Amino acid sequence: MTEKRVELSKAEQRERNLKWLYRILPFFSILLLIIAWIAVSGEGSDFPSPWAVWTRFLKLLEKPIKKVSLLGHIGASLQRVFIAMLIAWVTGIAFGVLIGWSKKANALLGPMFMAFRSVPPLAWIPLITIWFGTGEGSKILVVFIGCIACIVINTQAGMQNVNRLFLDVGTVFNATSKQRLFMIAIPSALDAIFAGIRTSASAAWMVVLAAEMLGAKSGVGFLITRGMDSRDQALVLLSMICIGIVGAILAIVTQIAERVICPWTRTKR
Amino acid sequence: MSMDENKKVKLSLKNISQSFVVKNKVMDAVHNVSFDVYDNEFLVILGPGHCGKSVLLRMIAGLAKPVEGEIFLDGEELKGSDPRVGMVFQELALMPWLTVMGNVEFGLKIAGKAEKERRRIAQKYIDLVGLTGFEKSYPHELSGGMKQRVGIARAYTSYPEIMLMDEPFGQLDAQTRYAMQEEVERIWQQEKRTILFVTNNIEEACYLADRIILLSNRPAKIKQIYDIDLPRPRDTVHPDFLRIRKEISENTDLAL
Repeated sequence: MTEKRVELSKAEQRERNLKWLYRILPFFSILLLIIAWIAVSGEGSDFPSPWAVWTRFLKLLEKPIKKVSLLGHIGASLQRVFIAMLIAWVTGIAFGVLIGWSKKANALLGPMFMAFRSVPPLAWIPLITIWFGTGEGSKILVVFIGCIACIVINTQAGMQNVNRLFLDVGTVFNATSKQRLFMIAIPSALDAIFAGIRTSASAAWMVVLAAEMLGAKSGVGFLITRGMDSRDQALVLLSMICIGIVGAILAIVTQIAERVICPWTRTKR
Repeated sequence: MSMDENKKVKLSLKNISQSFVVKNKVMDAVHNVSFDVYDNEFLVILGPGHCGKSVLLRMIAGLAKPVEGEIFLDGEELKGSDPRVGMVFQELALMPWLTVMGNVEFGLKIAGKAEKERRRIAQKYIDLVGLTGFEKSYPHELSGGMKQRVGIARAYTSYPEIMLMDEPFGQLDAQTRYAMQEEVERIWQQEKRTILFVTNNIEEACYLADRIILLSNRPAKIKQIYDIDLPRPRDTVHPDFLRIRKEISENTDLAL
């Protein structure tokens, strides 16, 4: 098979070297982070080392906190996020389509929504706690408030920016207004809607932590607070790492979902 | 050259005027244009850029209402869009979220045709425009010429009696443009329809047209009507072709 090894041209060689460089650099970046971590957690520092976090991780697997394992806590947070997101997607997309498509609805309801969204979602926590206590429903409500705005805004923008030409095509084919909405406007807004869904997933994950930190018996937000209360830095750091990993997985999952559902946007990235 | 008396009038424009309000000023786009289009003829509307020729087509397609005048199809007045009128758009207007098949069968779907019937008709026109094998491709995977073929196939599926083509090849490179002109002529020979083709390209007009309506600068008025009696397919370097081309060229307003 030695005949097949063709001499590489200089351009190909350069291309190949660059490719390798870009493949290696990300690992190098993570390596640097770990080295920095080890450096700050060295002798005399009370910052937990990677090793200490790892032992804390193993201990947590053996002896769960509040009878809930680490995965259980992650699951509890994810459950809140998913329920809230599902409700937010359904209502947010419907509302966004309404105010994006109908100018009258936008004039009537738009200002109301603007007033609502200019208040940061976390500011709702005290009122919600007073009204509904610290139960599961309150947390879901906080997360819902935290992620609905970006869905509405993206959906609305997508619906307002429907290419006039596509609607002209509909007119030439005598489409009814229902067909124009469901066969032209909404499909053409799908990529904008998905941008909203992607943002909502990261927003929801952020807000659920805040909601849990203010009173919960399970969830990663609870874990991190527990670590703070018992001055267990390793537990805090471990929770932070878990939060980061789950957040990254959420982002990847929504991106894959977008590629499956809207395959025509694939080349844009 | 007089028009044959036995030709049947398909579409008739009577005293059409169109104006728009642009930045608080009234801009006249089309001024008192009247003409007849005969059954199965290939009529080219030729005019300088932005002279209002696309506006004319949009009114026939029902995408805009004239401020004055009437349009008749088979003797009845056209009000709004009509299933007997199909259109190929200048800017392609293919839905990026649909495949070639999805785009071609779009009109049939709107008309509520059953899937099997849709597929059959769409496939027929996909084959006719030479896109067999690309049914599952998305528009962004196609070249400019292929995209415009999709646009043509889509317009044909609803069996329109009049096909409007609004500078369909304006965005194509010269080579593809020649190829597509031949395609359109071939399709027209194969599926006889009345075609109204708008262009600002004199050679394209002479190559395709049975008749050319030459418009003036904006506001568009009819400057002259030419009958092109050359045999098809036309030879673009034949002396007769060049003579007509030159004659029209000398009579054409320059675009601003």
